[in-house]
Amino acid sequence: MSAPPAQRADAPQTPDKPQAPDKPPTWRRVAAIVVFAALAAVPWLGSDVLVQFGINALLLAVLAQAWNVIGGYAGYASFGNSVFYGLGAYGVGIAMVQWHLPFAVGLALGAAIAVVFALTLGWAVLRLRGHYFAIATLGVAQVMAAIVSNVELAGRNVGLVLPPLNDDRLFYWLALALLAAATLSVAWLTRSRFGFGLIAIRENEEGAAVMGVHTTLYKALAFAIAAFFSALAGGIHAYWITFLDPESAFDISLNVRMIIMAVFGGPGTVLGPIVGALSLSAISELLSSEVTNIAGLFFGVVVVAAVVLMPRGLADAVRGVRLHGWGYFARNVKAHRL
Amino acid sequence: MDLLAQVVANGVLLGGLYAVMALGLALVWGVLNIVNLAHGAFIMLGGYAAWHLYRLAGIDPFAGLPIVAIVMFAAGYAIQRGLLNLVVRAPMFNTLLITFGLEVVFTYCAQLAFSADFRTINPPYAGSNVALGPVTLPVARLAAFAVALALTVGMWLFLLHTRLGRAIRATAQNLVAARLYGVAPRHLYAVTFGLGVALAGMSGALYGTVSQVNPYIGATLTAKSFAISIIGGLDSPLGVIVGGLFLGIVESLTTLYVGPTYADVASFGILVLVLIVRPSGLLGRTA
Amino acid sequence: MSDSASAYAASPAAPLLEVRSATRRFAGLVAVDDVSFSLAPNEILGLIGPNGAGKTTLVSLVSGTLAPTSGEIVFEGRRIEGLPAFRRAHLGIGRTFQIMRPFPGLSVLDNVAVGALFGRGGGTRTGLAQAREEARACLDQVGMGAQAGQRADQLGGPGRKRLELAKALAMQPKLLLCDEVMAGLTHVEVDEVVDVIRQVRARGIAVLVIEHVIHAIKSLSDRLLVLHHGEKIADGPTDEVLRSDAVIEAYLGKRRA
Repeated sequence: MSAPPAQRADAPQTPDKPQAPDKPPTWRRVAAIVVFAALAAVPWLGSDVLVQFGINALLLAVLAQAWNVIGGYAGYASFGNSVFYGLGAYGVGIAMVQWHLPFAVGLALGAAIAVVFALTLGWAVLRLRGHYFAIATLGVAQVMAAIVSNVELAGRNVGLVLPPLNDDRLFYWLALALLAAATLSVAWLTRSRFGFGLIAIRENEEGAAVMGVHTTLYKALAFAIAAFFSALAGGIHAYWITFLDPESAFDISLNVRMIIMAVFGGPGTVLGPIVGALSLSAISELLSSEVTNIAGLFFGVVVVAAVVLMPRGLADAVRGVRLHGWGYFARNVKAHRL
Repeated sequence: MDLLAQVVANGVLLGGLYAVMALGLALVWGVLNIVNLAHGAFIMLGGYAAWHLYRLAGIDPFAGLPIVAIVMFAAGYAIQRGLLNLVVRAPMFNTLLITFGLEVVFTYCAQLAFSADFRTINPPYAGSNVALGPVTLPVARLAAFAVALALTVGMWLFLLHTRLGRAIRATAQNLVAARLYGVAPRHLYAVTFGLGVALAGMSGALYGTVSQVNPYIGATLTAKSFAISIIGGLDSPLGVIVGGLFLGIVESLTTLYVGPTYADVASFGILVLVLIVRPSGLLGRTA
Repeated sequence: MSDSASAYAASPAAPLLEVRSATRRFAGLVAVDDVSFSLAPNEILGLIGPNGAGKTTLVSLVSGTLAPTSGEIVFEGRRIEGLPAFRRAHLGIGRTFQIMRPFPGLSVLDNVAVGALFGRGGGTRTGLAQAREEARACLDQVGMGAQAGQRADQLGGPGRKRLELAKALAMQPKLLLCDEVMAGLTHVEVDEVVDVIRQVRARGIAVLVIEHVIHAIKSLSDRLLVLHHGEKIADGPTDEVLRSDAVIEAYLGKRRA
């Protein structure tokens, strides 16, 4: 989707023509802290079902946020981050089941494998232009399940069964902590020279290179960061559900969901992916309690509608509607139609 | 040696089918610069259309191809005209995402409407074989191969020798050039996409006679169509034929010598390799 | 000061940039054919020639956008033809593009700030705030201070040209390569750009200017380099070159005897 507006004062600006008074950053920071505190309180105040929904939603938010780094900021839309998620899951699985190592070690192992894979794969595919990169990552995502199902250590097709740990609350807070870490990293990004470089790469890669940005290195780092957080999310999920097999660990549909969540909420912004993930998860959950299996369909429809009507995400849509009224949507269509 | 010949023959038959599958994608991509991630879903829908025609009206899948073609063309035309034309001038990522979304919608609708059961189209001649020298060729596969080849050649001739075909090729260069042929761009885009979807649908009908159809085959077939388009290059149907045959033979050989689960791995491995080494494909210029 | 810079300062007569027999082929077409020239520090060298003569290609060889098929590029005594573009930027080579490359979604200020962050004057310790201040100064220098807050893709033609210049300046280059920064400007605007380039030189920066606006390049350049069909056909003081037969013939065709 086209260049997203930045929210915070420090990040590179994409201003509208009339300088509309924007929310001062402190307000937003306070709001974020309040929301975070509320989320942290859920395990004490909410039902078990809510906690479980929360874990899923938070992990998806992590995936969306991780994707945000490579897709939203660097502009390289990866359709295969599910690979890193799966590698993280298997890192935990193999470490705990085959080598009897503690969970933390498993997480570290999964993250390490994912980062190495990202750097290797990245060397090959980050040199490709836009849609070729997307296709290549899609291709890799398709085959990971097939490859892993042939690996003895990973339990082949049958998968692995992890030692159970019946403490949903713990997993919830782990997931929340991971989301906080990912979000803080992205926030740091927006104020750093590295993040500025990524945005320059997104806006015009050749122009960035000529001005001194080490594009190859920066893209690889962004990809590695995305891999890191995705793998940790996969690892936590694996231990939580205590079961792991290639099909579910390398679930391709995760890619749809993480991308649409990041893009719907606002790619290239700090809070956008979280907003997108939590809101879309909530709506999808409500719908599927009404009609089974409608969740997937819902996502598809949301994607299609969002791309046509609000290609720059929810945050931009809210601002646009405030400034220009409902005509905002019509203008988007008019600007992009044949 | 006979076994090798058989495996290669199987690969060739498969390859012909793959080629016509990829043709629609390559056409839309090369001409409209639309990367259609829902392509495989259209193949799947074509397969279901043919299955229903056979099951409910007893129409032979090959005889029913024109019906499938018309229905799918109409659907493709409507989707382009009504939906995709709205994002054509947006950044490329938007088209990727919207077709991604369509893929999800079609898959779930198919699941709701047709259930997740595997379907095969089994006309009476489905089991019989034809011997050609050392190799045995299943009739259904042979027929599918022949039709696929005919469609590909037909598309090639259409693009080269008809006014509409030339207008479509002109659009790939320049929208203004297309106008000079007297065809309105929106209509032209919709026709091209309609053709692409019709080809996908027909290939799906053919696929249904040689393999199983279920709502989830879309994603893999899309990826394979990409692989073929990229390997063969986007610029000519000939490239797609080469790409299709190449992939079919590679998969066939891999299945025999390495193992069935590795067939997909081999195709995508080649895809990634080609992208890295020669993105313009074996035959193409730059896409 | 780095080693090469101090060795360099010791011999002020040493050229800043030396291009030795540079050739660039594109599958059968020879765009730049065995071109050699040198540029002194703080000199303004004009590069002229008919369209398609290879001027932009030659500049691309220097900036690192393209690699030469053969030949050497020497900057401050160092061979750089093997270095990627971003490393040459760190060494002090800045460039504007004829087909401009702004960062469309960013503000004009931030466009220039990229140069301040990543060019020779930048580095891992440069903060965003500092970079933006430097960017503002560069924008003022080209006369675009008022437009700092606008989106880059909303600028008109002349604005974009000046933005290109400001971006290159923010990198604190030692050598500035200008590719047709005056194309499509009015007489008054051209004079303003000429002024800016003079100021740039006054700050100690060497400039290589590709231009078609002859009166501007005449008043700016110390020396002229003329390309035709990829070959160098003249290289010397401005007035001499403009009077030479070879150059006139290249632009206007053969005189009737």
